[in-house]
Amino acid sequence: MDEFQTGEETAFVVDEVSTIIKESVEGAIGGNAYQHSRVNQWTTNVVEQSLSQLSKLGKPFKYIVTCVIMQKNGAGLQTASSCFWDNTTDGSCTVRWGNKSMYCIVSVFGLAI
Amino acid sequence: MEEYNSGEEIFLYRLESQVSFNADEASVSVKECIEAIIGGLDYNQNKVNQWTASIVEHSLTQLVKQGRPFKFIVNCAIMQKSGAGLHTANSCYWDTATDGSCTVRWENRTMYCVVSVFAVALTC
Repeated sequence: MDEFQTGEETAFVVDEVSTIIKESVEGAIGGNAYQHSRVNQWTTNVVEQSLSQLSKLGKPFKYIVTCVIMQKNGAGLQTASSCFWDNTTDGSCTVRWGNKSMYCIVSVFGLAI
Repeated sequence: MEEYNSGEEIFLYRLESQVSFNADEASVSVKECIEAIIGGLDYNQNKVNQWTASIVEHSLTQLVKQGRPFKFIVNCAIMQKSGAGLHTANSCYWDTATDGSCTVRWENRTMYCVVSVFAVALTC
């Protein structure tokens, strides 16, 4: 029975992380229009807020959070990630958010210690 | 008449010299991969999918070849140059003594390419 419990606690749970990220993004930039002078602060706020919420989960993980904010201007943006890790314990989750004037893409990578 | 076990001392010495991530070496490796794949090309919506995938795969392969005890995450973003603003930020919760990251920014006439490498030490 002990082994079953530790299995659940030490796996990367995508849904839980996804919810945390969505809340962080909404809290930091929800309802704002793209502003060049503020976007620096916004990206910082999104990653910091996400990271503090994730570390509060208390799981034995190292986290990497990246955030991209792009003005809606007709330009094309393509991103890709490749990871060399332990497939059974590590995982990632990407949240795409957008409003009328900008896109926000947040990726979280969780690596088991 | 106790004899010290010199074998133990050697073992402790090895634990102290655990490697930390070499960002400069990784940066050079990644720049070469980018040049090889998109150097001299113009932004092409049909091909960009292929390019980002190739860049991350090749960079990862080169990093793993170094044979160091790390888990890696390689992230690549390619954006068309059209006057739009782009901002990125990273935040990491890890062991600052052994883990590290490096970001390479590359551009040509028609596009920007930003590649980030994150290296997390394996606890063995």
